[in-house]
Amino acid sequence: MHPAVLLFICFVILLFGGVPIAAALGLAGTVAIYYGDLGIMAVPTNVYAGIAKYPLLAIPMFILAGAVFDKSGVALRLVRFAMSVVGQGRGSLAAITIIVAMIIGGISGSGPACTAAVGGVMLAAMTRAGYPRPFSASVAAAAGSTDILIPPSVAFVIYSVLVPSATVPALFAAGLVPGVLAGLALMVPAVWMSVRNNWGGLREDEPKPEVWQSFKEAFWALMAPVIILGGMRTGLFTPTEAAVMAVFYGLFVGLVIYKSLTWRGICEMLVESAETSAVILIVVGLASVFAWASSTMGIIDPVAKTIVAIGGGQYAVLAMLIFFLIIIGMFLDGVSTFLILLPILIPIAQSYQWDLVWFGVILTMKIAIGQFSPPMAVNLMVSCRMTGVTMESTVPYVIWLIVSMFISLALVIAFPGLALWVPRTFGFM
Amino acid sequence: MSEIDLDVVKPPEPPKTRVPLRIEEVLAGAAIGILGLITFANVVVRYLTNFSFAFTEEFSIILMVIMALLGASSAVAKSGHIRIAYFVDLLRPRLRRLALICGTSAVTLSFLLLAALGVRLTWDEYRFEVTSPGMGLPQWTYTIWLPLLSLAIMGRAIGVTIRLWREGRR
Repeated sequence: MHPAVLLFICFVILLFGGVPIAAALGLAGTVAIYYGDLGIMAVPTNVYAGIAKYPLLAIPMFILAGAVFDKSGVALRLVRFAMSVVGQGRGSLAAITIIVAMIIGGISGSGPACTAAVGGVMLAAMTRAGYPRPFSASVAAAAGSTDILIPPSVAFVIYSVLVPSATVPALFAAGLVPGVLAGLALMVPAVWMSVRNNWGGLREDEPKPEVWQSFKEAFWALMAPVIILGGMRTGLFTPTEAAVMAVFYGLFVGLVIYKSLTWRGICEMLVESAETSAVILIVVGLASVFAWASSTMGIIDPVAKTIVAIGGGQYAVLAMLIFFLIIIGMFLDGVSTFLILLPILIPIAQSYQWDLVWFGVILTMKIAIGQFSPPMAVNLMVSCRMTGVTMESTVPYVIWLIVSMFISLALVIAFPGLALWVPRTFGFM
Repeated sequence: MSEIDLDVVKPPEPPKTRVPLRIEEVLAGAAIGILGLITFANVVVRYLTNFSFAFTEEFSIILMVIMALLGASSAVAKSGHIRIAYFVDLLRPRLRRLALICGTSAVTLSFLLLAALGVRLTWDEYRFEVTSPGMGLPQWTYTIWLPLLSLAIMGRAIGVTIRLWREGRR
């Protein structure tokens, strides 16, 4: 048996057997390296070198920034501000959920974390206003998925580490318009379903928060994305440094302005962020054993060439890739998908001379859709657990959100300028 | 007042372990805190003076590796690692438990291998007196954390297996 076959079989069995992805990648890689006699010392070397990369430091820092803003009560103030602007008619809370998720997406870097932060504030309010719980859960999960498109995004940092020619600032800038587009695409079906079914009109008598007052309170939160993106734009900070500045800015807002952070809260935050980042980084480390094994055996190029050969034109190949990625995205999170599949996908992209920044954006959009597509939707799991509904019950609602976001993905594919205009105009690429 | 019990959002109670999980939690939390402080200090110093202490990059990197391994260790005990639980959850309870025991054993095995090979790597670096590129320190003082903390992760995986085993006998 060719070691490549062994590598693949081992990995698939372990993966579907519920073994943590990190261990599945590491074990399959080690077995194949041993069997193929490729030099077993490559295993520890690759694990160490896989994690010990300076650009990866941006990941724990962006996760920490997200936790700081979550714990300091930023989400609540954003919701109040959005309510004062949007009003409280039918469908307004659904729209607000999406808007707030998009703003928080400009601070934190991970989808499930964003869903939890927004859901924690919005889900109870939506139920009181008369939205069915499965619908609210669907909206919160879909809204949280825009987080990995709107900068900063952990998925983009990983992509950039694997594809160095696509820099983090370029990817962040390129994600901006598609992220907003995805948010708008989600708002259309969410509001339309609410208006049609007369949801959310129950609480029109509730006093509307005063616009100016709530703006003043939310101002500090609204400034965070400006600092992060502006700092990187002017070349003041590297992505890692921008993340650290966001952490300290968040601490300042939480301790001095809102006075909502406690010493105990800060300690909890550090532990939580360290664990969340560790779970991602350990996959990155052990995936490099898998990647080293497959590239040393020289199976990447033939597979990529075969796909291109049977493809029948670039759009057919792209459609095929998206179809596969949707299936995979239903079961696997974004970071793992990138680590496992990018080594194959990048040669394909290069053979068609696709722009690698644009390619990164559409892959990430696809993964964002996967985050709320049942049955393995990470975001939907969070919001279903919060509302106490089953994932099956969300299907009639979430399907429309998936379709709509899919249309926005198709637009970015058809018009690459939607992704590339911002980074080009601002000189990131 | 609220119809939704938001308490379900809170993570499930951490498992009772013989070696307190607090050890890894505190150390990993301290590591990410120090990482933040170093990077912040770097930015401040660079803008206030012309002095750059970029050589601390090497220190940040090893701290991140240590944080990743420590966090991975406590995440094993809390079953917090990313995995596809969908198919295993479809199984009947007894089979599911068996699958979980096999899965955790796979984690044990992979980190046992990593620890053993990591010791060889560290030994080689010690023998050949490899020094680090940035600060010129002996490289083995960095690498040694890989086998050491892999053993910790392995220990946590063994603990999970024992708990799963006992659960079934009750």
